[in-house]
Amino acid sequence: MTEMNPIATHPISVIGLGNVFLGDDGFGPLAVETFRSQFMCGPEVEVLDLGTPGLDLAPYLYGRELVIVVDSVHADLPLRAVSVFCEDDFTSSRACLRITGHDPGLWDTLTHLRIADCGPSELIVIGTAPESCIFGDGPSDAMLRLAAEAAESIAQLLSRRGVLCNRRHVAPHPNLWWLPLSSTEDPNLQQVSEE
Amino acid sequence: MARISIDPVTRIEGHLRIDVEVDGGIVNKAWASCTMWRGLEMILRGRDAREGWVFAQRFCGVCTTVHGIASVRAVEDALALDIPPNAQFIRNLILIGHALHDHIVHFYHLSALDWVDVMSIPKADAARAASIAESSSSWQGNSRRELEAVQQKVKGIVAGGQLGIFNHGYWGHPAMRLSPEMNLIFFNHYLQALEFQRKSCQVVAILGGKTPHIQNLAVGGVMNAINLNSLATMNMDRLGMLKAVLEDLIPFVQQVFLADTCLLAASYPEYLHYGRGVANYLAVPDLPLDAKTSKFDLPGGVIMNGNLASVRPIANWKDEPFRKAITEDSTHAWYQGGGPIEPYRGETMPDYTDFKEDAKYTWVKAPRYNGSPMQVGPLANVLVGYASGHALTRKWTDTAFGRISAVHGLKVGPNDLQSTMGRYLARAIRSSMLSELALEHLQLLTTNILNGDDTTFNAPQFPSGEIMGMGMHEAPRGALSHWVVIEKGVFTNYQAVVPTTWNASPRDQNGVPGPYETSLIGSPVVDAEKPLEVLRTVHSFDPCMACSCHTLDASGKEVAQVKVQ
Repeated sequence: MTEMNPIATHPISVIGLGNVFLGDDGFGPLAVETFRSQFMCGPEVEVLDLGTPGLDLAPYLYGRELVIVVDSVHADLPLRAVSVFCEDDFTSSRACLRITGHDPGLWDTLTHLRIADCGPSELIVIGTAPESCIFGDGPSDAMLRLAAEAAESIAQLLSRRGVLCNRRHVAPHPNLWWLPLSSTEDPNLQQVSEE
Repeated sequence: MARISIDPVTRIEGHLRIDVEVDGGIVNKAWASCTMWRGLEMILRGRDAREGWVFAQRFCGVCTTVHGIASVRAVEDALALDIPPNAQFIRNLILIGHALHDHIVHFYHLSALDWVDVMSIPKADAARAASIAESSSSWQGNSRRELEAVQQKVKGIVAGGQLGIFNHGYWGHPAMRLSPEMNLIFFNHYLQALEFQRKSCQVVAILGGKTPHIQNLAVGGVMNAINLNSLATMNMDRLGMLKAVLEDLIPFVQQVFLADTCLLAASYPEYLHYGRGVANYLAVPDLPLDAKTSKFDLPGGVIMNGNLASVRPIANWKDEPFRKAITEDSTHAWYQGGGPIEPYRGETMPDYTDFKEDAKYTWVKAPRYNGSPMQVGPLANVLVGYASGHALTRKWTDTAFGRISAVHGLKVGPNDLQSTMGRYLARAIRSSMLSELALEHLQLLTTNILNGDDTTFNAPQFPSGEIMGMGMHEAPRGALSHWVVIEKGVFTNYQAVVPTTWNASPRDQNGVPGPYETSLIGSPVVDAEKPLEVLRTVHSFDPCMACSCHTLDASGKEVAQVKVQ
């Protein structure tokens, strides 16, 4: 085997999951793009919008020290709030009823990787309950605000673990390329980037 | 007579419902229903044609790259745009990396457990398993020590009762016939495959910048800058990195993946006779070798009625008979409209009615080639290549036949590939071909760069009038085509005819069923509560129904039901 090991380059993954064309289901990509626009990390952190990869998640969890997954979570969560789960929550009876639409992929992938001894050392899920998942709609106003909150949570989780994560002095607009044509000038976007 | 509904079929990408009627233990009718709507075509209308590929990558959650490629090729076709050879080779390497990833995931992680009984592994003799594995392949990961370690893990899972994702397998089913040793060998490779699906993603990411959703495409080429004197661009270090990853990956494909499918075929020879289905095959040429896109490393063609001698080559993407032959029929799909319509004029307006087997019952349209259903995928790819005398296809197909024969002396020929097992074999044969072509295309790219060509992009110029184009790709699941109508640089219509649409096609206006539906006719079902045989054949197509949607489930539980009425 060669010595080239991208794991060493990116031991930490921040992953957004969700369908960006399904309204609030795209909370994960929205939140990680917001995080990317507001914070700057070192090369050890990889920030990825993975969409809805199902079992194809494996390469992005493989051998990582820390994985933070951001996703919409269909569960008994308080509306308009960001919640943080650890991996144990998914294996407990409580979390059996609290899985995301992508969870079959995430759960299967984690199980495969754990059996093969190459799962992530730590997995954290940041989630929020979606309000509206209508095809072709952009995220609701509440999601745009919560994305900024989730970005703060990601930064705090990284900082608490000693991972370099600095707030940008000038935050560019998040690259929300998927918004409906009529929404590209939505004032809420400005609000998010200025918060 | 029993009616079995499997909803959803698990271990696929997306959501699929299969209904079969079973009489005397044999399937005599079948319906395939995709339970998700794909509406991305509507989102693409009004978008800039140069950015369509960014959106098109979201047609599917897992096959992102292939839709990006088909999208730029469609726009380039409309513009009659030449593509620099460097861009062709870079795209080809990305497509190969993606295909290898997809095929490895399909065989090991999506379908192997239809054949491999994990619960029998604790009973295996690891030393004997190592001996069997080492006699069938030169792979170094088959040692007794390695197999014992895997066996211990499985023993721990079984003893602890923590079956997790293995909880719902059809363990102990009479159609599961591998010995405990063979099950141990396959499961060892199942775990090892995790590393090699990662390596195939690295190939895509090194060139595409990111995967899924590569970032380097452009209408007119790719956005990879080439400068051998810069650390920040494509240089000899980057090319060397690619070669190293490929040299790690290729032995797994050729020595493990291909060997395993041959062992599987030798162990379940009856599946060389089940699941033939629609015996019309369609493959499109791919891996272009020049700027004019006139030469290809993978041949395309059409085979009708299972007659390999009848193959009609599709020489290139301009093939007029192909363009004129394709239609889509919505008679039994939840869309407005009915009879066949050419993709350029296609619509995607929903008309949902609930599942009505004699009327509309799926979100998948019925594509037709000169009015006939067609089977697409690696099997079509391999059969067209074999029938056309394509040397690389013949080399790896004959290698597979030799390996199968070496196990129990079973003689297999190209016509036997027209079956459930043939689809598994074809996927491994195609992967072996692609793995060999990967190094060749890397060498073509390197040579072209060393010859002083650093061009990767020809800028598109859009006329003000209406133009139309079609982009092809022989994707991991088969022939993919995107059809675009552009005016003033903006899409006015967009239709994607995707591989799973061909294979999961419902009945058309004449009541002719599609490949999934036809392939299940005649399949045995030993236990109606556990219709494993049906799943094996459906999984052999590698269904991918994701197409940009996924479902949020109200209860939060994955719902996998088998209903027998």
